[in-house]
Parts: sequence; C-alpha cells; structure tokens
Amino acid sequence: MLELRDVWKSYEANGRQRFVLRGVSARFEKGDAVGIIGRNGAGKSTLIRILGGVEPVTRGEVRRGMSVSWPLGFGGAVHPSITGADNCRFLARIYGKSPGWVESFVEEFAELGEYFRMPVQTYSSGMSSRLAFGLSMAIDFDCYLIDEVIAVGDARFTERCRAALEERRQRSALLMVSHGPGLLRSFCNSAAILHEGRLTFHEDLDQALIAYDAL
Amino acid sequence: MRLPAMLLDGARMQLRVISALILRELHTRFGRHHLGYAWIFLEPMILGGCIAMVHYVSGHGLPGGLNVAAFYIVGYTPYYLFRAILNRAAGSVMANQPLFYHRQVSYLDVMLARNLLDCATVMIAVFIMIIALSNFEAALPHDPLKIVVGIVLMAAFCHGFALLILAATVWGHENVERVVHPFTYLMIPFTGAFFMVWWLPTEMQYYALLNPSVHMFEIIRDGQFGPGVPYHWDLGYMVACTVVLNLLGMLALRAVKGRLASEH
Repeated sequence: MLELRDVWKSYEANGRQRFVLRGVSARFEKGDAVGIIGRNGAGKSTLIRILGGVEPVTRGEVRRGMSVSWPLGFGGAVHPSITGADNCRFLARIYGKSPGWVESFVEEFAELGEYFRMPVQTYSSGMSSRLAFGLSMAIDFDCYLIDEVIAVGDARFTERCRAALEERRQRSALLMVSHGPGLLRSFCNSAAILHEGRLTFHEDLDQALIAYDAL
Repeated sequence: MRLPAMLLDGARMQLRVISALILRELHTRFGRHHLGYAWIFLEPMILGGCIAMVHYVSGHGLPGGLNVAAFYIVGYTPYYLFRAILNRAAGSVMANQPLFYHRQVSYLDVMLARNLLDCATVMIAVFIMIIALSNFEAALPHDPLKIVVGIVLMAAFCHGFALLILAATVWGHENVERVVHPFTYLMIPFTGAFFMVWWLPTEMQYYALLNPSVHMFEIIRDGQFGPGVPYHWDLGYMVACTVVLNLLGMLALRAVKGRLASEH
C-alpha cells in the first residue's frame, strides 16, 4: 500500500506561495498500473517525487506500506562521476542487496557494453535511462515510480521494460507519468488526471484520455 | 512494529548507508589515482610533514624545550582536519545531489561518512609521522589515548560546524562558502594549533580557553609530550561545546530540509 492523505504542496516563487498540489488523496496497491496524465507544469513530476519521498510535502501525509522505488526520471539517482558498475555496487549496498549480483544483473539488462565501466557522465540520455531502469529492476521494489524514463529509450528498450514490468505485474504496483497514449496503453490499466492541483481517478484508460483531451 | 524494533531497523539502515558512502568516497577520491589509497595518508602527511620540516630546519626552539618537529606534526595535522571538514562542508553535499534521490540517504549521512573518513585518515597519518619521527628524535606519544580523544573531538566539533555551514548554504547563501575559506585561514592563529596556553599572559589565557579547539590541541599535545609543561584542557567543556554545536547543526539542517530537492 502507498497512500497520500490530503497532500498539499507549494513552492515559493517571486515571494509568493504557489500551490502545485491542493489536497491530493490516493491509495495504490500491488497489481495497480496507473498512468498519471496532466499538462506541462501540472505537477506530475512533483507528485511522483513526493510519492518517492525525495520531496517533503507542505501539508498532509504520505504512508508507505511497501517498498517504493526512487522516481525513475531523467536526472538524479545515479552519480555522474563514477562508472555504471560502481553506481550498481553503491546502490546495492544502500538498498541492502548483494553488490556483485546487482552489478551482473544490470550489466546484462542495460546492455551498455564497455560503457558500463565508464563514468556515467559519458552516457547518452538513453544509456542513463537504461542503467537507472536496470538498477531499479535489480533492486526489486514493490512499487515503481516511472517519470518518463522509458520514453527516451529506443523500441528495443521499451519492449524490455514492458516485459520486465509485465513479469512482476502481480507483485508490483506501477505509477507512470507520460504524455504518450501509446506508452500508457501498453503499460497501464487505469489512469488519473492531475489538473489544477487535484487528482481525478478513472477506472478506464480510454475514458481518462478522452476526459484529458476535453480539458 | 514496536518502537525499539523500528529504531533498530533505522539504525541498521543508517549504518548500511554510511558504510556504502564511505566505500564510495574512498573510490571516488582515491581509488582511481596512481598510488591509490596511499594518498589518503599522503595528503595530510605531505602538508603536516612539510610544515614540521620548515620549522625544524629554521632551528628555533620552543618554550619548555618541546621537540619542534613533533610539535608541528601534532599541531598542523589536526588543523588540516579542521580545515578539510569546514572547507568541504558545502561542496560535499552539493556535489552529491543525485544521492538524495534515494530517500534513505540524508545530508547528515553524507557529511558523517566524509568526516568519519577524514577523522580516521588524519589520525592514522599523525601516528605514522610520529612513529617515523621517533626513530630519529623525539619520543613516542606519552599517552596515545589523549591524542585519539583530541582528534575525535576535533572531528566531531568540526562536523557540527560543517552542518551549520551546509544549512546556511542550502538556505540560499552561496556566499557562505566564499567566507569559510578565508575564515579557516584567518583562524590559524586562534585555533590553538601553533601555540600553547601557558605561553600566553594570564588574562589572555582566559579568552583563549573560550575557544574549544584550543582545548583540543592542548589535549593532543598532552598526549604527545606528557608531563614537563602545563596543559590546559577541560574534557567537559569540549564535549559540551561539541554536543551543542552538533545539536544546532542538526536543527538548522532540519529547518532547511527539502530546499535543495525543490530546485530540480
């Protein structure tokens, strides 16, 4: 279970308080695969970061009854000045997994070739995403927070991600931010629209996409 | 889960994170260079050794007939620790931004890992130099435990200070770092690294002893030279200052929590 209870989030911009989230409540369980849709700047990434515990809430509460991944997005998570392999060993240690096992799993999953033993700052964005995604699979969370990470990969990588997530469908929850209806259809079975600081759930994905287009 | 079990779990995780951070720190700072890990000790030893050498060669004696080289080794090397911890306080956490994507890693952990490592390496460097020196002149430390206590307190005190510097930097004053560098230089005559309290006139001794780092250098010298000259240190005062500074540092860090993350 991963739960948000009346979560509010504001930033200070030019001396004024600007609310991004205005009382969001939600509950996610294992087996859920929810796409989060919203316009640019609606606060989708902020929501994902709050769920991942990277960002504190202004008001309200986040409760985590299962292990939740870090937000798998463009930045963060891996250190640019050390190699992919060293990142694997380090993250394995902080998540209490075997460093050797995580390293070999990711080496195979991410297909980085010799780049695996080079500093991450030399990677393309697609390569960084493969590393980060592979790492999150190796660490094996109950809930995955995916913030566009799959979108930068090529078709082969997207397929790999889909297969990996499909395989753990029953035991993991998936929350995904994306603009592409195609990606959402292949990964999610329901959706939530984030609009004007509020989150509205739709059981049916197509219905959600229609509602979103109508905004 | 019961509270003690939760605390134990939390402590175990923190320990895991800190040891992983130390390993990574070793890697990024030293592992890939020529000579590798030897640099950990060479860095403070080159500086401490050179300063001691300069004073030794210049041939001035010290009041109380203390060995010149030993005096500067046990003075300069812990001062190196003081400077390293304070100067790197802000940068160490800023450079490690990606780590905070993992919610079990906190600013405090990163700081602790670095400073524990610095404390251990400086300690070993001091003993290597002192033992090496004892082959030529000067005696082995009279009471090594006092040296250990002095260096650990120095590291802990600076750690608290570093937390405050970090909090101020996060709060939005990037200029804090610019001030810290000159500050650590200007502090050289006041830290107590290069003078002994009994050399001062009585009324100045009182003011010098308000500074806890003066006590720390005195206990380190006491451990090295033993009886023969008077020392001025108060363990209670050092511990109290260290605890207060650390509490203030942690409170300040708590107050700015999340400000760094929100800049993404």
